[in-house]
Formats: sequence, structure tokens, C-alpha cells
Amino acid sequence: MLHAILHELQTASGPLTLRQLSRKLGVQESALEGMIQFWVRKGRLVVDDGAGGLSEMRVCHSIACGLRACPGPGACPLTLKPPIRFHLSS
Amino acid sequence: MIALAGNPNTGKTTIFNRLTGARQHTGNWPGKTVEKKEGTWWHGETRFRIIDLPGTYSLSAFSAEEVIARDFIVEARPDVVIVVVDATNLERNLYLVLQILEMTPAVIVALNMMDVARDQGLQIDIDGLSQRLGVPVVPLTARTGEGLPQLMATAAQVASGPPTTRFLPPIRYSRPIEEAIARLEEAIRAHPQLAQGYPARWLALQLLQDDTFCQEKIAHLPGGVALCQQAREARISLEARYRTDIDALIAEERYAWIHRLVQEVIRGRPQGPTLSDRVDAVAMHPVGGLILFLAIMWVVFKLSTDVAAPFVAWIDLFVNRFLAHWVLEGLALVHLESSWFASLITDGILAGVGGVLVFVPVLMFLYMGMAIMEDSGYMARAAFVMDGYMRHLGLQGKSFVPLVLGFGCNVPAIYATRTLDSRTDRLLTGLLVPFMSCSARLPVYVLIASIFFPHFRTPAVLVMYLLGVLVALTVGFLLRKTLFKRSETSALLIEVPAYRLPTIKNVWMEMTLRTRAFLEGAATIIMAVSIVIWLFLAIPVNGQSAFADTPVEHSAFAAVAGVMSPLFKPLGFGNWQNASALITGFIAKEVVVSTLAQVYHVPQESPGPEEDLGFWAEARLAAISFFRATADTLKAIPGIVGIDLLDEEEPGAPPALGEAIRQGFEQTSGGRGALAGFSFMVFVLLYTPCMATVAAMRQELGGRWTLLSVGSQLTIAWLAAFLVFQAGKIFLS
Repeated sequence: MLHAILHELQTASGPLTLRQLSRKLGVQESALEGMIQFWVRKGRLVVDDGAGGLSEMRVCHSIACGLRACPGPGACPLTLKPPIRFHLSS
Repeated sequence: MIALAGNPNTGKTTIFNRLTGARQHTGNWPGKTVEKKEGTWWHGETRFRIIDLPGTYSLSAFSAEEVIARDFIVEARPDVVIVVVDATNLERNLYLVLQILEMTPAVIVALNMMDVARDQGLQIDIDGLSQRLGVPVVPLTARTGEGLPQLMATAAQVASGPPTTRFLPPIRYSRPIEEAIARLEEAIRAHPQLAQGYPARWLALQLLQDDTFCQEKIAHLPGGVALCQQAREARISLEARYRTDIDALIAEERYAWIHRLVQEVIRGRPQGPTLSDRVDAVAMHPVGGLILFLAIMWVVFKLSTDVAAPFVAWIDLFVNRFLAHWVLEGLALVHLESSWFASLITDGILAGVGGVLVFVPVLMFLYMGMAIMEDSGYMARAAFVMDGYMRHLGLQGKSFVPLVLGFGCNVPAIYATRTLDSRTDRLLTGLLVPFMSCSARLPVYVLIASIFFPHFRTPAVLVMYLLGVLVALTVGFLLRKTLFKRSETSALLIEVPAYRLPTIKNVWMEMTLRTRAFLEGAATIIMAVSIVIWLFLAIPVNGQSAFADTPVEHSAFAAVAGVMSPLFKPLGFGNWQNASALITGFIAKEVVVSTLAQVYHVPQESPGPEEDLGFWAEARLAAISFFRATADTLKAIPGIVGIDLLDEEEPGAPPALGEAIRQGFEQTSGGRGALAGFSFMVFVLLYTPCMATVAAMRQELGGRWTLLSVGSQLTIAWLAAFLVFQAGKIFLS
């Protein structure tokens, strides 16, 4: 079951949602979340919540955006918050 | 001593608070920043200490909370461990139960949230579950207290019962693993210090999984080093046999065991498609999802243009009539009404900054739409649908995220390309981000669309956004076939959140935070640029006018911008005014509108004696017109679905300025002002982004690629606008 997650991702022709994968594998979505976290800890899956890469927005703050009370690069108000994504590590 | 363990959000703390009431205190676990809660509970004459362990999903020692929970159970050896389990998420929660059962037999499973489970139609075979786990299972609803007395009676019974010397946890792993565990257990029991310190089977399992915490703990004990070596050899042997990590293997067997158990003990009414499933059948369908996405974007732009229009008109009235008038009156009190200072204030700051402030309602409605899409959970569905299309075009599905970010602001979108795996993908996506129409360009579209397409504002704006996406996808596809040969795209798993009703608080917060970012930028960048533009507009070049008293077409600004204007003649908007707006747009795209407001100089008409009502009367009128604008905005909402409740067409752009711009475009295009306006919008969409984006590109992509990007964008923008204008001339003549 745990390895079936990796197999499904390796053979998928397009993106999958957690719900689709849970139905494919016949497990509760919440249990699937636990299994996915296991692979994230093992480094086989990489989690991407969209915040990575926004940690050094020096230029943004100093020139274009006048927001003096910027809540921080990861919470930039001018960005849309993307959904959390997992992908197989290279 | 009773320890409360469990996954987060299972009601563990509710149980703790109900039992201990005020008899609790909070501190930190020694050497950690994790909160420790401890309390007292009386059962008859017996006093029990209750420790609320940190909520964890497992005890794998990856986090401080897991280490604390695990070490406490193993070393402090509570008399009872109550594992609080969410009855509606049994399959996930049982993983922790299994791990704890491998550490101690003194376990009670508190099956909480039974009320929710009943509402969901779940039927759990409590006795069967207890039998399979080998420990008591007590159903309860901590929220109401139902079942709590039974839980604590069972806890007292277990705590006072005789200690179990040999307890076999319910799960048996496959034979090779069990044989390895047995050999390690035997070695552990041969060393009394090891056997007394830790449960033998648990220690064997941890060492087999290369648990460094355990290795460190036993290394100094007699036999510890040899035991670690034995475990290492067993692990290597098993991993060679199964060709996978031993901890993945053990976790796999645990999950499989739990899955079989859950299939046996849970019966529920058949789950038909929920409302969410029915909506997702459309929202996540490749074709239906795209249509829905376009429809939602239509509504968002309709809000930003037509519904915001009454407020746009009100701000124009307030800034360019009321405020400008009374600032001049104030300056007249100190005899400065005809000075260069007055010109700076009215023609520089008010015209420039005010020209952009007029569009604050437009942006507020756009941000509101974006916030609703995010807060409702819809944005994740849109990302899922677009991911599929991007893959078909040979683009990395993950690239959608930075591209979507670019709709807000291109700068963080460039930085977000760091989340992509390969350098190729980062480069390619970084080159495409500037084609995403950022929110700063929206005021330009609304201004031009309001002037030339007053009945088609929304479609005109939507076309710009779609055109940007189309150009980005086309350029990306071409680059993939040429410079950036396709690399393997990795599969993607997207966590799509449950739909929820957006809260007014969240939406308001997002909306105001983003608007504040825009306003603070207006108060700094735009004001600074407006002052510089005013200065250049005030400097005469023909020697016949005085400083700050020169016609704009005879100013230094006009002379400089005029050098560039012939470049834009084939595009239909080749005059110095439009050229200057595009030049200043390099600083920040919002400045395009403020520059247009300044260079298409519309003299402020002072009110005649019959119109001069006095400050307070005019202020009262301004307030009344604000409420009228609010009412008109509400009346404009049904217009989204074609129901027109407004008395008259609300102008989307300041009338006098709009007329001045219209005449300018008509002159430069030979009477084809609308076509030239559309061409201008296309150019603004596609030409080089603001300097902050360029700086971010230089940092992320390198100087060479940034230069290539800037050059190619200017070329694409010029060619696209040329095509629009020239082809339009042919087809519309």
C-alpha cells in the first residue's frame, strides 16, 4: 500500500488529487495523508507549498512594493496561495 | 500515572481538561520548547497524575513532539497510556496505537467523536476492535462527556491490575522480519541493563530501523555496541532481500494490517457522491473545468470593471474636483495659488497619484475575487485543471504555480521558480512569468477599455489576461521544442482542500492587505515618479515659457519622449504622450496611468461663483455622493448576469481625461482610436515588465537570459501590437 503510492505516481499520465488516489487504493484519505508524509520524511516525495523560493524577496520589497509592514516573503499579499503539491523526488 | 497520547485534533486536550479541570499546570518539557501539561485526577481515594503528551501522528522521532512522547512512554513508564483516537479517522489514528502497543501493554484506546461517527452512519465493532488489538476500547464523546466515566473506570482498573510480563503486540510482521526481531530480542534479554531499560521487542524494532536516538541511548550500556552491530547486519540483509528500506517495509506491513482491521470492524452506509464530488466532477473536468474557470474569471473581471465603476467615478470626483479645488483654495490663502508649488501639487502629485488612486476600487474588487477563489478552495481545482493542459503543451505542470502567482505580481512569481526541480524548468518558467498580466496592469486596461469599449469593458479586460496566458503557453511550447528540450515531467499529487464558505473576515483581510500594498506603493513610487515627471513637464525647452508655466507639448518631458514616439506610429499610438507613459511604465506598471493623467493635461476648471458652495457644503455633497456610489455599486451587481438596474451608464474613466486620451489616440491612428487603444493594451500586456521584475530575473535567471527576455518581450510586444493595428486597419476598413 505504501509502495503502491509511489507506483501510482510513477505510472500516472497526469496529475492526481489525494481523493482520486485514495479511491484508487481503497484507503481513507486521512490515512493516505499519513502515508504520504512518511514518503516525504524518507525523501521519496517532495512537498511544495509554494512558499519555497520566496524566502529572499529583497528586490521586491525595496523597489516595487511599497508595503512597509510586509508580513514576510512567504506571506506576500500580492501572491496567490497555490495548493500543496507532492511530486516524486528526482 | 496516566499518559494521554493521540493524533492532533482528536479531542485529547478536551479529555484532559474535563478530567483535571483547574487542577492542572502548564510548563515546558525539559530542554524543549514544547508545552507540557500535567494535572491531577481523583478516582475514589486514589490520586492519579495525568500527563497530556504532545499530539503526534507517529512515534518515528522525526520531530521534538514525537521524541518527547516516545521517550516518556518508554522511560517514565506510565501505569496507563490512553490513546485518544478519532472514530471517523480510524485508519490513520491506528498507526500510533500500533506503535504504542509495541512499547507497552498498558494501553486503552479511547474511541472519541462517536457522535460524529454516528452522524456519518459509521458502525464500529467495538468488541471486535478490542479483541484484535488485545486492549480495552472505550467509545466516548469527549465534547459532551459521554463515555468519560467508563474510560476512567477502565483506566483505574488497568492501572491497578497486575503488570503484564510478556505481551505480544497484535501485529506480526513477515517471517524474515520476525526472525530478525527474535534474534535481537534474545540478545537484549542476555544483557539485564538493556532488558530492564527498554521493552525488548520495541528496542529490537527500533534498532532494526536504524533509530539513531536508541543507538545513542544504549551505546554506553553493556552489550549496546554489539547489539547495534547485530541490528545493522540484520537490516542490511533484510534490505537486500526486499530491495527497500526496512522502515518502509515495516511501515508498509503496519498500514496493510491496519487496513485489513478497519475493513473488518467498520461498517458504514454506502457513500454516494457528495455535493463536493458533484461540483468537482465539473470543476476538475478537463473541458468543464476550463469553462468554469473562464466563467469565474469573467465574473471577477465584471466585478472589477462594471461593479467598481461607481466608486471609480466617485474617487475621480473627490480627488480631481473636491480635493484639487480646496487645495488650491488653501494655497490661495497664502498667495501661492499661481505658483510653481501649486502646479506641483495639482498637476504633479494630485494628477499623478490621483490618476492611479481612481482605480483602487478596481483593484479591491479584483483582490476580493482572488481571495474568494482561494478561501473557497476553488483555486486548487483551477491549478489541477491547468496542470493537465500545460503537460499537453510540453510544459512542466508545476510551472503553473509561479505563473499563477504572476497574476498578482511578477516579482514573487520569478522567485517562486526556485521550487522547480531543474534549471531548465526554472529558466523556461522565469521567461514566461512576465507574460502573466500582473494586477498593476489592470488600471491601464480599465482606463483604455472604459474610453474605447465602454459597453465591453469586461470582455476587453478578460481578453488581455487570456492573451497573456496564450502568448506564454505558445512561447513556452516553442521554447520547449527548440532551446529547452523536454525533460521528464514528474508526476504530481495535488492536495485539493475541501470546499468551504469563504469567511468575510478572511476575504476582507486579504483584500485590504493587498490594497494596502498597492496604496503604499502609490504613496512612494508613484508619487516620486509623478514629481519627477512634473519637473520635466515644467521645464520649457522653447525658451518662450516660464518654469511650471509651459504648455506640456513644449516641455523637456515631451522633447525626450518625442524621440521615442516614431517607434509607436506603426502601432497606432505614436505620440509623445503615449510613448512617455510606456517609458515610465518600466519603473512600475501603475505609473502608466498616472503618467497618462499628467501628460494628457486637463486643466482644472475653477467653479464659478454660482458653483462655489463652500467647503462644508461640498464636503457634504461628496459624502452624499459616496453613499450614492455605494448604492449604485450594489445595483450594478445583478449586471453580472445581465440584469441592469442602473439608471445610466456609469463612466469607468474620468470624463475629461478620458476625452483627452481619446482625442490623442484618434489623432495618432488616423481616426481609428479604438483599434489603437486595443493595440496599446496589447503592448502594455506584453512589453518589458517593471524594473523590479527585471532585477528579480537577473538574480534568478542570470544577466544573459534577462537581457534576452527583455529584448524578446519588447519585440513580441511591438510585433503583436503592430499586427493588431495593421491587420485591424485592413479588416475593419
